Amino acid sequence: MSNANLWISALRDMVGEAHVIQNPDLLREYAVDGLAPRAVVSPGSREEIAKLLVFTNAEKLVVAPRGNGTKMAAGGIPGRLDLVLSTLRINRIVEHDIPNMSLSVEAGITLADVQKILAQTGKGSFLPLDPPHTEKATVGGIIAVNDSGPRRCLYSSARDLLLGLKAVLPTGEIVAFGGKTVKNVSGYDMTKLMIGSRGTLGVITEITTKLLPLPEASATLLASFAGLEKAGSLLRKVLHSVLLPSAMELLDEKAAGQLGEKTKYLVAFSLEGVGEAVERQAAEIGEKAKREGAVETKVLRGEEDRSFWIKVRDFAVISAVSVVLRSNFVISAQAGVLGNYEKWSREAGVECAFIGHAGNGIIRSYMPDGGAARTAALAGLIEKFTAEAANRGGNLVVESAPRELKEKVRVWGRPRSDEVVARRLKEKMDPNNVLNPGRFVGGI
Amino acid sequence: MERDRIVSELVRLVGRENVLSSPMHFKLYEYDASLIRSQPDCIVLPTTTEQVAAVVRFAHDNKIPVVARGTGTNLSGGSVTLKGGIAVVLTRMNRIVEMDIENQRVVVEPGVVTLDLKNELARHGYLYQPDPASEKVTTIGGNFGENAGGPHCLKYGVTSNHVLGAEVVLSDGQIIEVGGKSLDNPGYDLTGVLGASEGTLGIVTRATLRIMPKAEAVKTMLCIFNSIEDGGNTVTAIIGEGIIPATLEMMDNPVIRAVEDAYHIGFPVDAAAILIIELDGLKDGMDRLTERVLAICKQNNVREIRVAKDQAERDKIWAGRKGAFGAVGRLRPNYLVNDGTVPRTRLPETLLKVAEIGKRYRILIANVFHAGDGNLHPLILFDERDKDELERVHAAAAEIMKVCADMGGTISGEHGIGVEKLHGMSLIFSSRDIDAMRKVKAAFDPAGLFNPGKVLPEKEKAA
Repeated sequence: MSNANLWISALRDMVGEAHVIQNPDLLREYAVDGLAPRAVVSPGSREEIAKLLVFTNAEKLVVAPRGNGTKMAAGGIPGRLDLVLSTLRINRIVEHDIPNMSLSVEAGITLADVQKILAQTGKGSFLPLDPPHTEKATVGGIIAVNDSGPRRCLYSSARDLLLGLKAVLPTGEIVAFGGKTVKNVSGYDMTKLMIGSRGTLGVITEITTKLLPLPEASATLLASFAGLEKAGSLLRKVLHSVLLPSAMELLDEKAAGQLGEKTKYLVAFSLEGVGEAVERQAAEIGEKAKREGAVETKVLRGEEDRSFWIKVRDFAVISAVSVVLRSNFVISAQAGVLGNYEKWSREAGVECAFIGHAGNGIIRSYMPDGGAARTAALAGLIEKFTAEAANRGGNLVVESAPRELKEKVRVWGRPRSDEVVARRLKEKMDPNNVLNPGRFVGGI
Repeated sequence: MERDRIVSELVRLVGRENVLSSPMHFKLYEYDASLIRSQPDCIVLPTTTEQVAAVVRFAHDNKIPVVARGTGTNLSGGSVTLKGGIAVVLTRMNRIVEMDIENQRVVVEPGVVTLDLKNELARHGYLYQPDPASEKVTTIGGNFGENAGGPHCLKYGVTSNHVLGAEVVLSDGQIIEVGGKSLDNPGYDLTGVLGASEGTLGIVTRATLRIMPKAEAVKTMLCIFNSIEDGGNTVTAIIGEGIIPATLEMMDNPVIRAVEDAYHIGFPVDAAAILIIELDGLKDGMDRLTERVLAICKQNNVREIRVAKDQAERDKIWAGRKGAFGAVGRLRPNYLVNDGTVPRTRLPETLLKVAEIGKRYRILIANVFHAGDGNLHPLILFDERDKDELERVHAAAAEIMKVCADMGGTISGEHGIGVEKLHGMSLIFSSRDIDAMRKVKAAFDPAGLFNPGKVLPEKEKAA
């Protein structure tokens, strides 16, 4: 085991003194589950990352990659943390090929900055991803976590958008997979392997993705309901119709209230496309909602429309709760799961807000942690939620929680039979177990 | 182990009725749709996952290679038992296990023929989007192993975007589940890694697919051009306008003539190129979108546009496109079809280079291509009995692959690496990239049992 000062000075040689943080006060801000690293390093290039990882692999130093840290609270509690590797200096737009509708961009840039640039270039385009943490999340972090938001309903997620990816492996090799083409079956689909790998198989340095043209028009149809059954019925009818909303969300009373809508249940449809199609869908869904007994319907446009969806995406930030769970299950179970979650959280005396991504079979649950006295109650509730999601063909992941709560729950939900291969993959790619060890499924 | 013992063991495991072991059968299963030939030691046609696992366990314990196979239409040698061993043919596992319309999923066995599945779904007003031209004969398992595309993948993605989960037999006989009916299950995207793995990582014995309601409206247009360049420019302009059609398919003159000779659809045999454009979605605004597309075609010197008036006319246009390879197959005894893919914008210059290569090697090349996604299919026509011509064909194919790599593209868009394109892997990957893939192979299949000699080149000796 090396002397810390020795290896930190080696880091300084690799990236320059200005890009190594050693100050204990600053280091605390980079803590993961309360465990501060011994240094934070910000390499300026892929080659510097490679040098760093060759070194940390040889010295068996535990490394956690990080963008803006919006998702560092997820995953298992680290047993050890030597170094946080920041990607923020690796943040260029590498190539925006407008006629090819593709973008190659480095990991450390925020998605928000990317979208601004894309909207203003040529006829205007966008990367159809709308995950939480609108302003802060970096492209690398979003891809490493496979994060997504409401519009995943129509536009799909990273595995359907990315054309290629570059990374540095835990052992320091610089690798590149995929490319700029929509079709590519050469070799194994390593891009899909790296998406969602949570910094355990390598540090993503660059992605190449498809883009879409900015929609010609957009609007949002909101429908308020007094009862869950009717809200669920509306969702089901739209899901099985020819209509193509870009998002379909089901919010409970608490979540709707925080968004300024007073209702027991709020159903929201985002509509994007050619003008005629947006108007037709707003009218038709409005009609369907009234037939299902909606208390009220209204249409949001322009700035109102845009800000509504930012609030939905960033609900964790707005509600400032410390416990966020993500449950996944079969699509038809949306209302049923929500009903059960509401009932059980009431019975447990836990104030919970719920936002269902109804087009995708996902519910995010937002709860305050209530301190040490409530840990056992919360842990019990989370276990109940997990069992419910598992019974409906899915699972539950803790996206953020205080350390004390994480210690009492399975943050990755129920184990799965494919973990045997996952473990072998990790062993092969990271034989010294240096990148984010112990933070992923199955103890990986 | 000797062949006779292998056969008798397999008979014991899966029953005499599911084992083929005559010389005639070894000959029948020695090939696929590529030029690669190699006989298996035995052929089994299991009917259950347990049988597949039992065969694999037996093979594992006796170090016998195993190659999973659907209907054997593989174009790169992926279905051929290159190192002998057991051919596990999955065509008897062809049930639709569960049609789950409520959850927009269907669970199938790997031997289901793709078009059969789509026809069954159509009765419920639902679609499974991937539509490889071979869908009449290919199986879901085979499609997944190669990550097959098809004309509609421009808008809807390829097979692995629609396979959400699978039951997989690993090389030691273990059965695991990857993915599922629900989205974003925790863990690595092993479902995604299995797509395009060409039978080298696991045998899929069940697949969970994403299905969606049929589109409300569709508009299919046949656009006739006097030059490939005009067609290519039209494609670029349409997408540049922010319109993403469901399909943008092109065929050049040799293909048009072959299709006309074979099917008499009414394609104009003096056209330099035909572009099939299909728009789908809601009916609102579809007419306006169509007008915009037609205007772009006219701006690019289109000679004639035929808009399909009804489903019958639409079917005819597609029959011409989907039957293209079959029609071209009538011209000479063999064809080798390249599968290079380039960024869409570089398609016209790539096609010029392909034509030049054809002239230089004195071989006839007919072109079908997915103009929207840059996946070319130069069909190189020849007679394999003419050894000199065969050599020129291989040389031309290798050059075309290099051109695609040099254009910033890739060597295989949908037909797979198999055996045929092994030597091309170094055109697009560094040795570090391939080493990383070898680690994936080792993680899934430590014994190196599944489809040896495919996808990844043999490791070079250290210098």
